[in-house]
Amino acid sequence: MKFKVTDSENISTVFLNGEIDMDIADDVREVIFPLIDSGKEVHLNLKDVQYMDSSGISVIVESSKRAKDKNTKVELKEVSQPVEKVLAMARKFL
Amino acid sequence: MNTEVADPTNLSEKKDFLVRSSSLKDVRSFSREVFEKFKIDEDLREELVLAIAEAAQNIVKHAYKDFPDTQDRMAVRITCTGKELEIAFFDKGKPVEESKVKHRAIDDVKPGGLGTFFIQEIMDSIKFKEGDKPWINNLVLTKKL
Repeated sequence: MKFKVTDSENISTVFLNGEIDMDIADDVREVIFPLIDSGKEVHLNLKDVQYMDSSGISVIVESSKRAKDKNTKVELKEVSQPVEKVLAMARKFL
Repeated sequence: MNTEVADPTNLSEKKDFLVRSSSLKDVRSFSREVFEKFKIDEDLREELVLAIAEAAQNIVKHAYKDFPDTQDRMAVRITCTGKELEIAFFDKGKPVEESKVKHRAIDDVKPGGLGTFFIQEIMDSIKFKEGDKPWINNLVLTKKL
C-alpha cells in the first residue's frame, strides 16, 4: 500500500487513507519510521482514514515514542470522525 | 453467508474465513452487511465492527501465533434476538487461557492488549468456552440492544 508524503522544510506529512488494520500496519511503519529516524517532524493526516483498529493506534503510539527518542515529534492532523472515536476510547487506557 | 432461522424471532448469520490478517477486511465487510440486514442502530454498527475485528485479530495473533501459514478457517456467527446481539467466534487454534487474556498498559501497547480493552469497552459480556468439535475455542460476546 502506498501513501502520499509531502515535505515542507523539516516537516514530512504522511497522508494515510482507507482502513488501517493489522494487515497494513507494517506498511505504515515502513513509511513513518524512516522519516522519524531521519530527524524529521512527522504529521499524520488522517482525514481519509475511514477505519482504524488497535493496530493503527499501536503505530501512532510507537511512532510518538520513537520520535521522542529522536528529539522530534509526531502530530495528528485532520483526524476523521471514525478515528477520533477510536482514539477517544484508547485515551481511556492512559 | 449462511442464514439460520431455526427460531423465527432470531436472525442469525454465519461465515468462515481463512485465519490470516488479510481476512480481517472480509470479517468487517461481513459484519457490516449483517448489521445492515439486521437493521442495527447505525451509531452502534462501527463500534461492533471494531469489537468483532479485534476478536478476529486476536485469533490470528494469539491462537495461531506459531502457525502464520495455516490453512485453517475461523467462523463468525452473529445472532440477533431483538433485545440482544450475540457474536460467536470459533477457531481450531491454541486453546485460550482466559487468565492470560487481559489488556496491557498503553506504553506497552500491542494489538491484542488494546484490542481486548476495546472489546471490553464496547461489549456487555465476554465468555470463553471450549468449542464443540471440531472447534477448540468458542468466544461469545454479547451486547444489549
